Amino acid sequence: MSMPISDLKSDEGGLVEVQGSGKVIEGKSPMQLAMTRLRKDRTSMIALAVVIILLLIAILAPILDWVGILDPLSIHNSGPGNLVSGIGSVPTGPLGGISWQHPLGVEPGTGRDLLSRLLEGVTWSMIISISATIIAIVTGTVLGIISGFTGGKVDFFLGRFIDLILCFPQTLMLLALSGTFIAWITLVGVPSGNPSTGVYVILIMGAFGWPGYARIIRGLVLSMRNREFVEAARSLGSNRRRIYFTELLPNLWPPILIYSTLQLPAYVSTEAALSYLGVGIQAPTPTLGNILTDSVNYSQADPTYFFLPALAIAIIVLAFNLVGDGLGDALDPRHGR
Amino acid sequence: MFAYIIRRVFSGIIMLLLVSLVTFILFFASPVNPARLSCGKICSPALIEQNSKALGYDKPMIVQWGQFVKGIVAGREFPEDASLRKSAPETIATCPAPCLGYSPLNAETVSSELGPRIPVSASLALAAFVLWMVFGISFGIIAALRRGKFLDKLLVSAALVAYAFPTFFIGLFIYQFIALKWGLFPVPVYTPLTQDPLLWLQGLVLPAITLALVYLAGYVRLTRAFMLESMGEDYLRTAKAKGLAPRKILFKHTLRAALTPIVTQAGLDLGLLLGGAIITEQVFNYPGVGKLAVQAATTYDLPTNVGIVILIASFVVVANIIVDVLYGLIDPRVTLA
Amino acid sequence: MTKKTKSISVIAAVVAATTLAACGGSSSGGSTGSSGSASGGSANNASASKGGTLYYTSNKPRQTWDPQRTYTGEGISLEGRLFSRSLVQFPVTSDLKASSTPIPDLATNTGTKSNGAKTWSFTLKDGVKWQDGSPITCADVKYGTSRTFATDVITGGPNYILSYLNIPTDKKTGLPVYNGPYKKAGQSYFDKAVTCSGKTITYHFNKAWPDFNLYLAALRAGDPYKQSQDKGNNSNYTVFSDGPYKLQGTWTKGQGGTFVRNPEWSSKTDNIRKALPDKIVFQEGVTPEIGVQQMISDSGTAANTVTTNAIPPASFSQITGAVAKRTINPQSPFTEYLVPNMLRLKNPKVREALAIALDKNAYIQAGGGSKMYAPAYTVTAPGILGFKKNATFSGLPDSGDPAKAKALLKSAGVKMPYPINLTYPGGTPTSDKQFGAIAAAWGQAGFKVTLNGLTDTYYNVVQKAGSTWDVCWGSWGADWPAMSTVIPPLFDSRPNLTPTTTGQDYGSYKSAAVNKLIDKAAAQTDVNAAAKIYDQIDAILGQDYAYIPLAIDKFYRINGSNITGYVNNPAEAMYPDLGGIGVKH
Repeated sequence: MSMPISDLKSDEGGLVEVQGSGKVIEGKSPMQLAMTRLRKDRTSMIALAVVIILLLIAILAPILDWVGILDPLSIHNSGPGNLVSGIGSVPTGPLGGISWQHPLGVEPGTGRDLLSRLLEGVTWSMIISISATIIAIVTGTVLGIISGFTGGKVDFFLGRFIDLILCFPQTLMLLALSGTFIAWITLVGVPSGNPSTGVYVILIMGAFGWPGYARIIRGLVLSMRNREFVEAARSLGSNRRRIYFTELLPNLWPPILIYSTLQLPAYVSTEAALSYLGVGIQAPTPTLGNILTDSVNYSQADPTYFFLPALAIAIIVLAFNLVGDGLGDALDPRHGR
Repeated sequence: MFAYIIRRVFSGIIMLLLVSLVTFILFFASPVNPARLSCGKICSPALIEQNSKALGYDKPMIVQWGQFVKGIVAGREFPEDASLRKSAPETIATCPAPCLGYSPLNAETVSSELGPRIPVSASLALAAFVLWMVFGISFGIIAALRRGKFLDKLLVSAALVAYAFPTFFIGLFIYQFIALKWGLFPVPVYTPLTQDPLLWLQGLVLPAITLALVYLAGYVRLTRAFMLESMGEDYLRTAKAKGLAPRKILFKHTLRAALTPIVTQAGLDLGLLLGGAIITEQVFNYPGVGKLAVQAATTYDLPTNVGIVILIASFVVVANIIVDVLYGLIDPRVTLA
Repeated sequence: MTKKTKSISVIAAVVAATTLAACGGSSSGGSTGSSGSASGGSANNASASKGGTLYYTSNKPRQTWDPQRTYTGEGISLEGRLFSRSLVQFPVTSDLKASSTPIPDLATNTGTKSNGAKTWSFTLKDGVKWQDGSPITCADVKYGTSRTFATDVITGGPNYILSYLNIPTDKKTGLPVYNGPYKKAGQSYFDKAVTCSGKTITYHFNKAWPDFNLYLAALRAGDPYKQSQDKGNNSNYTVFSDGPYKLQGTWTKGQGGTFVRNPEWSSKTDNIRKALPDKIVFQEGVTPEIGVQQMISDSGTAANTVTTNAIPPASFSQITGAVAKRTINPQSPFTEYLVPNMLRLKNPKVREALAIALDKNAYIQAGGGSKMYAPAYTVTAPGILGFKKNATFSGLPDSGDPAKAKALLKSAGVKMPYPINLTYPGGTPTSDKQFGAIAAAWGQAGFKVTLNGLTDTYYNVVQKAGSTWDVCWGSWGADWPAMSTVIPPLFDSRPNLTPTTTGQDYGSYKSAAVNKLIDKAAAQTDVNAAAKIYDQIDAILGQDYAYIPLAIDKFYRINGSNITGYVNNPAEAMYPDLGGIGVKH
């Protein structure tokens, strides 16, 4: 069975969490075995290829921009080179101004190259999503292990703390706190504007991402706590830290990996949703979210522009989810019997 | 059992108090002075200070929180100003318990702002809930029964593709193309149930579909996974061995075992959603709590923000209690002690 | 700016934008083929269209119907035409000059000033009644004005009168000792400053207020209010009419309400309002995207509809032929401008280079083109008395001259590329595109622009003393068609600059010469003489590059085909003037 499909994509942050996911993931199956299984799964392999391409794009786009092959910033909206001369500043020519110079057309209003913006949008969206994922995963793993392994009061209070966080409507909090928190982030010295906003988006997405995950890890740790290898380490007098990192953590890699590949696309969607609500990195720096937020206004006037950015996000979300699913299947022999 | 419920309710109240305190700290520790809003276009610092006093924003946060909690329990008056009460009692706004605060920006109590909006959000949440439960569970069952076959892959991947596109894009697509451009369906407008049940339903269809698509993929996969799991349980093998009809096994044993966790999850999702679907309401211009939340967030209407957060948090807490209690009743393996 | 800052706080809205009343905007007859006069029916058959039901659609919920709280151009216009008569109001017209000249409404004339414009008196007409049949008295007018002083109860409204009425101020706060009719502290001072004698009301000011009758006509803050109907905050959506219409039932925020004829109103005492429709139905929560499709289809009630929703750029291509004839596209009273931070950009050549390199056309194009904006050449709008293009800016090319700016920057001897932090209200794709376009042009001129788009906190940041931005954005619409509601609020350093905030003088511009001229203008008893002085001030502001004009916002809307008597009235801030609109039926 699968891990939670996501908890942050939606609207309301509706949490589709699988109860008792913990018991499904058998941490002990060797990675090699899993990889063999994964290689046989055609859908997942295709998805994996797409994911690798996306990551390459994320890395290469800024370099291509730097050497001048991509150009997400140049404006062509006045004078002889005006590419957006249509009524309401829509692109000149059919299909959103597609041409050899601009294979996916140009952005209405400014005439900036859409392909360049989308590719560099992947970079920025990935930077944001990966950072937030790392925050969520690291926090969730550490607190989950501590909670599960220590037990007692620590476990109780961490548990209630998680309950408390999950009481808050996530999307609303992300939106409503933006003014206050971005001002604070600026106050502590992060440059005002996009840097502050970016840090806010990353931090707060991460902050709402870890609790559900910490619960899963806690469950796994609880089930491992009294297993022989931990008992053995404990009786040998290993200190806690050692047990956490050398005994427990290696067994937690599979769920960490799966959760990351599912959390990341959820954050890509969340970034877009936040942009739509007016919180997020602002153009001219492109993110998939801010491109899409603009493009949804052009459903009638420029359908090409309306569909392409949404398609880009869908491909990312789909590819990562399929890889996550495939990993889940591969790492868990019982999965999807 | 009774004692358990009492204890759960008690801890729920503590949780809500904590939520309100945290919310207060998060919102009112803002570097932005909310009194600025109540001042006209040309506003002097002295005027801001005076308004800040009149609105009670000059008091320490903990005092403001105390007043807020008191308002929930016993009601409040706005402004809390003895001299004004004496000289012009008709200008005092009374806010009966449970009072969620007063928005000076709208010159209205938060409760009376929320009052007409809760049925809107609840209608939308319930309609979406019905859609995603009916289709999510039936698709999940079909997929499980046809595991590995074409139909399985089709249903699961279709739901996933719908999930991959950002909600606001799907919503705007439905709105702009299906309703406006192609006229396949009337433009959705909210009509109160009491005014015209048919129009109420008609206005709900498109937004509810949009909202349900957020959850659909998760529920298809959940149902499928739990079905597959419970299909492999020992007692089912026994039932099969006993020669029970496959159909009977499916509905009597498999489904019941699989549905219990799904229904509890659904309860929690619904609880959260009753407090408003931010993006769907925004896209379809639905006058619900979610739309108000966006408005409040973007106009820096802090009291309204706080009120909405508390409202949603209490939905979540109540849903949690109900689900826990129900779970204990349905599943004999859980003992409520 | 309302359209540009959907996610900016109300602070923004209150401070700069939605607010304001009269003024501004030529009727823009030539610019789009849809003239400022009637559309969908011509003005001369308006008399034939008495009766019927008019629909009025808009998106955002109205914040108030309280005359003393109202500070949006639309609210001021609607209240004045429907149910809140003033001592004087502006006529129903699209003529620029006539529209900014008050004519008597409740009063028998446009006011008598004496004592060097420090005393004004008005005499009420006979036979004007409230909707309950009781006559409008001098006490009602006086009571209305008193409500503005209750700044902690009647919040958000225009408060000019606080600094004019001859009432002592608290030394510590600088606020008047009179705090309104609810708490009544210092009531005796107010009773001395505003006096009633029979039907004559007299206002006593502590300084000259030559355009006081413009204030009365352009805002609703000076309108009468019947004390027995006043419940302070709780009266936010109360409508108690002395005009041609009254509210039927109650107002539902977010949905609207219906106005019907007020039988106590008589056209005999009112030569401003034609009051043509029998019924006016307000519908709120109609989004521009949906609304425009209904208006284009012109079916059902849409034919009888006027709307304040702008046509979204995505629908421009549908506006052709007969549909285009139903559109209006006037200039709004709002001027957008850029503000150099005088504490950081101390070198005047740097500021001049910014002005020269500014590409207004790119900004306009990125914002949807000529239907949305016109280039601006001064901070005041064309409808304002004494309006004149600023000589410093009128000669610069609309698309900027980066080469010339670059040469100038070089001659200034500053390090290049010169870093500029451009702070603006972002959060919407359109504003981000527009400022990206400005940054691109400045980039060519040797500046290195860092874009700093802010949302909720925009005005907190730009109004904070000692901020680190170099250039910010501002938008202003005059409260009444005189430069006294533009230049002093924006550039008088004395009330604006405090240790913590810059007020509306975002750039911390401080000029003794300008302040001196502002005092001189304020002391004028004649508005035309004052306007001449303000023109001098504007010339100094231009030479100092205290601001750089950017664009004038335009409204682009569509009416139903049955609408008659539609005028683009600058005095009504280009909102539909219900004083003259009727429906064919």
